[in-house]
Amino acid sequence: MSLLDSNKTVMNDSLMMDVKNLSIQFGGLKAVDEVSFSIRKNEIFGLIGPNGAGKTTVFNMLSGFYQADSGEILFANQNITSLKPHAVNKLGAARTFQNIRLFKGLTVLENVVVAMQQKHEHMWHDSLLKTEKFHKLEKELVEKSIDLLKIFNLDQFKNDQADSLPYGSQRKLEIVRALATGPQLLMLDEPAAGMNLSEKAALKDLIHFIKNKFNLTILLIEHDMKLVMNICDRIAVLHRGKKIAEGIPADIKTLPVVIEAYLGKKVI
Amino acid sequence: MKKLIIFLGSVIVLGIVLNFALNSYIQAIVISFMINAIMALSLNVITGLADQFSLGHAGLMAVGAYTSAILSKEVFADHWYLIPVTVLCAGLTAAIVGYLISLPSFKLKGDYLAIVTLGMAEIVRVLLLNWNHVGGPRGYNGIIKFPEFSYAYIFVVTLLSLVFVACYRLKYSWFGRNLWALNEDDIAAEVMGLDLTKTKRQAFVISSFMAGLGGGIYSHHLGYISPNSFSFLVSTQILIMAVLGGLGSMSGSVIAALILTILPEALRSLPTGSLDIRMIVFPIILIAMMILRPQGIFGRSELINFCKEKKWIKS
Repeated sequence: MSLLDSNKTVMNDSLMMDVKNLSIQFGGLKAVDEVSFSIRKNEIFGLIGPNGAGKTTVFNMLSGFYQADSGEILFANQNITSLKPHAVNKLGAARTFQNIRLFKGLTVLENVVVAMQQKHEHMWHDSLLKTEKFHKLEKELVEKSIDLLKIFNLDQFKNDQADSLPYGSQRKLEIVRALATGPQLLMLDEPAAGMNLSEKAALKDLIHFIKNKFNLTILLIEHDMKLVMNICDRIAVLHRGKKIAEGIPADIKTLPVVIEAYLGKKVI
Repeated sequence: MKKLIIFLGSVIVLGIVLNFALNSYIQAIVISFMINAIMALSLNVITGLADQFSLGHAGLMAVGAYTSAILSKEVFADHWYLIPVTVLCAGLTAAIVGYLISLPSFKLKGDYLAIVTLGMAEIVRVLLLNWNHVGGPRGYNGIIKFPEFSYAYIFVVTLLSLVFVACYRLKYSWFGRNLWALNEDDIAAEVMGLDLTKTKRQAFVISSFMAGLGGGIYSHHLGYISPNSFSFLVSTQILIMAVLGGLGSMSGSVIAALILTILPEALRSLPTGSLDIRMIVFPIILIAMMILRPQGIFGRSELINFCKEKKWIKS
């Protein structure tokens, strides 16, 4: 049980996200039950658990899609529990989806520009009269987006339709699009889903790379234990809507409750 | 600049030809084409770009038409040169109505706007039917018209050009991109920081404003409006134009409005006898077009891109 309380002593300022007693109920099912954890700045935090443990539900509450029945979510010391998804993003928490959600009919570049432009002030008369300011802002948005795509070697596809990209690149583009909103916290929902071994290895490097390059905190939901154990600084384990453990990967690996949740009870 | 001169030149030439060489029947068709084009463009902003179906544009058109008619008759004492002012007021009133409708309907996702707008159009129609002061079912008569065709022509061409340019520029700006993104995937767009409710509401208010302008001109074009000029059929007709031209294609809307205004008139000359062949041929042409080009004439693209693709003009 000592692992559960290990983060209580951490100062508030060094916390990126603080989740307190989060609960949500769907009909008679308590999908998430009194879950608390906190994510420190500049760490890679993993949220794992067997199928149906409530990981994605927690994720949807953090990003504003579900309203928690009770509990509190603090992001950079601001209460975001009842905010809508777009407001959560504006504060600096971006997310990706388990099943890729690109703007399929738009080009790769447009996908990034749409995300990028949300942080800018736009004037109606500028776009109606095509003022100098309009052209300047358009140019700036496109240039910045291309720069961002270049970092991830996607600029060669910039005029291709987003859904024509190979699967791995689509994942990458979704991450790039999330980065374009200028987040402090990046939440990745099963980024390795559907990837083969070499793609997973590349993904691991990619996550480390973006964390350092953009000075980000990363929250990761993942099934692939190997990836999670390799990459995360700390991990929380969910089982049937409850948090059963939290700590560094080496400890989590050997914890009997975690093994039991994944593999079942030992019968002699 | 060159494009502007070519455009102005052709508009003036067309105007002179219409004014001196052709009869008032053709002139009236040209004006109704332009009104239809404004209506199709206005619907295209909300249905084409934002993918929110509106089945009540006739209702907004009615609001605009009656506003403009009442204003010029009761307030402005039938001065024809004040028509631009009343038409502008018509647009503003329709925009306010549009805003009120958008308040409840965009809190929900899905096709609720279609239901709400359909209901709104019916409410407007029934209210007007029972409003005796504006004629009720007999219609509102003796609305001031432009004294000469050339004035009407200049005014409507100017308005259509302004509406078209506004739609076109909005489409290729941050706003159009936002709408297209939420059209493609609203959940992803929301996560990118886009306020869905607000964006859809803005699009609907713009669309309502333009529909009000169209209705305003309509009342001054015919000089007579009745609640039944704005029935559900009219909404459908506007929708057909927007869909035929291609949802999201502004030049497509104008061209579709041209085709669908001229086609029924051209078919009038068919030998009819006891059978109204016109009403058979017209739907068949529409069905054929929908089978051959389900995405509309231009899809989402514009006339200018289409010409570039076919190498008709230099890019």
